[in-house]
Order: sequence, then C-alpha cells, then structure tokens
Amino acid sequence: MTSTAPVGGATATATTEPSLETRGLTKSFGGVRAVDGADVTFHRGKINALIGPNGSGKTTFFNCVTGMIKPDSGKVTLGGNDITGKPPHRIAAAGIGRSFQLCRIFPRLTVLENMLVGVRSPSVLHRMGGARNGDDIAKARELLRRVGIDHLESSEARDISYGQQKLLELAGVLMVDPDTIMLDEPAGGVNPALIGRIGTLVRELNAEGRTFVIVEHNMDMVMSLSDHVVVFDRGRPIAEGPPSVVQNDPRVLEAYLGV
Amino acid sequence: MPSASDTTTGAAPAGAAPGGATERRSRFDTTLLGGKIALLVVVGALVLVFPQMAADPFILSVGVVIASYAALAVSWNFVGGFTGYISLGHAAYSGLGGYATALFITRADLNPWVALIGGGLLVAVLAVPIGIASLRVRGASFVIVSIALVLILLLVAQSWASLTGGAQGLRVPRPFGEDVLRPEQHERFFYIHVAFVVVALALWWAIDRSRFGMGLKAIREDEDKAQALGVPTGGYKLTVFVISAFFTAVAGGLYALWFGYLDPIFQFSILIGSYMVLMSLLGGLRSLMGPVLGAVVVGYSLEFFKVHYGDSQFHLVALGLLLALVVLFMPDGILPAVGALVDRLRPEKRTSIREMTAEDLLEHNRRLDGGTGTPEGTATPAGSGPGATDAERDLATVPPREEQR
Repeated sequence: MTSTAPVGGATATATTEPSLETRGLTKSFGGVRAVDGADVTFHRGKINALIGPNGSGKTTFFNCVTGMIKPDSGKVTLGGNDITGKPPHRIAAAGIGRSFQLCRIFPRLTVLENMLVGVRSPSVLHRMGGARNGDDIAKARELLRRVGIDHLESSEARDISYGQQKLLELAGVLMVDPDTIMLDEPAGGVNPALIGRIGTLVRELNAEGRTFVIVEHNMDMVMSLSDHVVVFDRGRPIAEGPPSVVQNDPRVLEAYLGV
Repeated sequence: MPSASDTTTGAAPAGAAPGGATERRSRFDTTLLGGKIALLVVVGALVLVFPQMAADPFILSVGVVIASYAALAVSWNFVGGFTGYISLGHAAYSGLGGYATALFITRADLNPWVALIGGGLLVAVLAVPIGIASLRVRGASFVIVSIALVLILLLVAQSWASLTGGAQGLRVPRPFGEDVLRPEQHERFFYIHVAFVVVALALWWAIDRSRFGMGLKAIREDEDKAQALGVPTGGYKLTVFVISAFFTAVAGGLYALWFGYLDPIFQFSILIGSYMVLMSLLGGLRSLMGPVLGAVVVGYSLEFFKVHYGDSQFHLVALGLLLALVVLFMPDGILPAVGALVDRLRPEKRTSIREMTAEDLLEHNRRLDGGTGTPEGTATPAGSGPGATDAERDLATVPPREEQR
C-alpha cells in the first residue's frame, strides 16, 4: 500500500509502521457476531478512517480496542505491546485517547473542571495533589483556547451548545496527551462549518505527530481528511487503502448501496 | 473554611471581561466571602456555646442526637456526594461500628477510645471486600445490594445472642465512669461529635480540591467517560467507600458510647440508612455543608414531631411531607438553591453565557482570527472562505440552553 496522502500534506509521510493492530478480534452479543475475526492495522502518524454501513460493528470494534468491552477472542496491540482486555484507564495511560459517539462530557462540572479530569497521574502522591494547580490549569486554558471555547471555562458543561461540547470533549482528550486519538463520529450532529473546524484541528494535531483513528459517516470529511481508510462490513474489514482507491472499490459500493 | 456553595467557583476568566465588570465582580465576591466567613464565625460560636445555653438536659441530648446525625450524614456523603453511588445501607457500617466498639470494651477490655478507633478500622477492613463486590453494579442495583447487607447483619445481630445479646440488646459501659453525671456526659459528647464532624468535613474539603476528588466527581457525572480519560475508577470508588465506612463506623461507635445501649432493630435499620441519604439530599449532597444542614433540619424536625405527636408514627409522615416539599422545589437541596439565589444578585452573571457583551464578542472573534488559522499547505475541507465566518458565529454566539438528549 502506498503512503502518499491524497489531500493535505502536512504529515511526515515516510513512516508506515503499525501503531494499532488487531488480530482475529471477535465479540458476540447473543447470537450476533458484532465483530467477527477482524484483522485491522492502523498506521502511526497517519489519519486513519474506519467506515462502514450502520450495524457493521465499527463502534463495538472501537469499544473492544479501548477496553470498554472485553473481546471474546483475538488480540489488540499498540506499538507492539499487547493491550487486549485491559481496563480503559490502563489503555488511556498507554496513550490512546477517545471520544464517544454521542458526545460525552461531565454535565455538572464546569468547562475548566471537565478539562482537569483527564490528567495522567504517575503516583498516588500526585493524585492527592490539588486539582486546581497552576500547571494543569495553564495547560487546560491553552487547549481550550486552541479549540476556541476558552471564554466558556466557568460555565457548566451542560449549558454550552452541542458543537461546543464536541470541542470540549476533544480538548479534554488532549489533556491526557495521547499518541493515538480515536474519534467516534466527530462530525455527527454538528454544522458544516464546525466540521471544517474539527477537520482543521485533526490535521494540526496529526502534523504534531499524533495518530488518528476516526469512525465517520460523513464521506466528504473521510475522503478529504484521511490517509488510510478501512471499510467494515459485518464485523470485519472488507477493503482498505487510500481514500481514492477505496471509494471506487466494488465491494465497498456493494456494502454501502446493496447493489 | 469556604462555604459549600462555592464548589464550582473557578478562577475568574483571565482577561476575558472588560475592566469595569471585573472590578464589580470581584467586589461582589469579596462581599460574598466576607458574608460567608461572618456566617461561619457566628454559627461556630453558637455551636460552641450551645451546651451552656441549653435550658435542660433534654435539649442538650437533642443537640447530641443532631450532632450524631450530622456525623453520620457527613460520613455517608464521602460516597454519595462525590461518586453519586447512593447507599441506603450505611446503617450496616454505623451498626457494626457500634457493636465492635461495645464488644472491644466488654470482651477485650480495651480503653473505650481505643475500642472506638479499633471498631472503625475493623469495619474499614471489612469494607474492602464488600466494596469490591457491591461497587461493580451501578444505579438502582447498587442501592439494592447496599440494603441487602443491612438486612443480613440485622438477622446476624438478632440471632447470635451469645455475642451480641440478640434481641435483648447490648449494654455499653459509660466511657467517663459513673461519677460523671448525665448532663455532663451530654456536654462532653456534644463537643466530641462536633470535633468529629469538623475532622470529617476537613477531609471532605481536602478531597474535593484534589485530583482524586476531581476523578470521583467525574465518576458521578459519567463513569465510562472518566475511565476513558484515565481515571482508575475501581480503585477510586473503593478508596472513598472505605473512607466512608470508617467514618460511619466511628460515628456509630460514638453513638454507642454516648447512648450506652445497642438494639439490633435500631442499629441495623433501613430507616437510619435512609436518614443519612435524606439529610444529605435535603441539604445538598454535592456541597460540603449540605449534609450538616440537612442533619440539623431532619434531626430537629424528628425530635419536634416526636414531642408533639408522641409515640405515634406520625413523625415519619410529617418528615416525609417535608422532604417531598424540598425535593419538589429544591431538587438539588437547600444549599445549591441558596447559591443560585445569591448568584441572581450578582451584578455580572458569571454563569450566564448568553450575555456575552459586544466587546467580548469582538475580542473573541479577533483572537479566533489570529490563533487558529490553518497551517501552510493544508486545505480546509469545508472551504475556509465563508465557512470560517460561520465557524466563528457558531463558536461565539450561544443558543439558549437546550435539554440534553
């Protein structure tokens, strides 16, 4: 597979080493195999996209990788380290940050407090330290300014608009300083202008060396943003490659259009 | 010690507001802080002179009962207030603490105060496996699991007569000896309970400020999300659960030492556990002083209704009505309602994000223009021309508050 990014070239292009891999990942709910022996490779330093029709198992796959659900079988590795079935906070500590499909924030905490939740704590002593210390607050304000909602820091998170909550969620994930960021439908339910803004942020963060894995239905966003696309159907990948190749693949067209 | 109503007070937004507003805002906050300190001093002084002002030993004993309720409610609120796990079964820990204290004195011949702390530590150790098992479930399931433990312990305490005295109850020796008379004992226990409450509040306050506390509050708001952000939710919940069990057990032990008699029906009752929940809800369980205020209101009402309606169960009906009224009109509790009222008097409304001034908006948009331009060589998917203006509009104007989901 080629490493040329079709659109946008800020990313350093030479590396195609695997960042996040699954082998034979399987998860059933009752009789339904939501994820069915999925072998997927996401590349370090790239913007990877995961697409597929509704019910194809994308979110279950996502949850298995991030530890929210324990897979029945199979293996997940991050940079060669086995992280299969580890609890979510360990996976977060290993360097994977994630957002949720329907944006999830802490509604009755202020915007700033939302930011201060996600701090990697190296020791018990560190955890007992004050949450409102200067360093963390400075970092939180910097990130809030970056996503453009710093003027709302003392509002309760439930009082800001949905688009702003999406930005808050992204900024909150960045507080943990993840190498790999997994976004579940970042463009869902937000207006086109904000989609553009989120896309720009993803591109900037990627240029700083962060790997992205994005589940998304918005094809414009996927095709213009991503370097590598994996197409899911019935719990496993049916095609992968650069967006220009994938969008003309007959299997993909069949899965999406049923022709 | 800051008042409970300021739990969400952040530092003022850096340089966001025009100078005049900042000045007025800080003056209002200074006045507010002064008022809080004055209130604290007055209430503190009233509490300290209460035993001298109490007309007779009965009034004094009511004071001890209320202080005991406050001790239980504040201990309960370590779990309930921070994590939102509502335990209706905390009477298990106060009851166990009471029995452990009594048995350490009568069977092991320990000093009463050593027995008290020993009882607390024993319950804290027991709380580890109980917490590991019960904190796996959330919401209504957790409530039911918590009740189950009380019922089991009630049966054990009633049946194991050789150890607990069974339904006959258990007599607890008076810690100050027989030559200290009742009123004197009431007075000492009143101060001991107050000291206990102050220590528990200080710890609650310290946790509230820590990263640990922020993690706990995140668990209350959205546990999965907190874990995805790296909060070790299991360990955090268990830690605060054990802290809560320890304090509840010591509060139960204090009650045993003061009252001098333990009856299993009263010690392991759902009602006592419910009182802890109701007092915290009434005062405001996310506030530092909420459970204390709730304990004063509930404790006083209970004694008042008991005096007026005698031995009937009517005091429970009256209490139920009181709670229904508070829940209807102040769903978050009394203190948050008062806090909201005070916020209305604020000249510049810090919470209102709808009232961004024109200058604020202008400055904000200017900053957006400068700060987040796209890097060289990358195209914005949605087109950066007209799109950018829309983006700014979306970010800077704030629609009226919408209900979530």
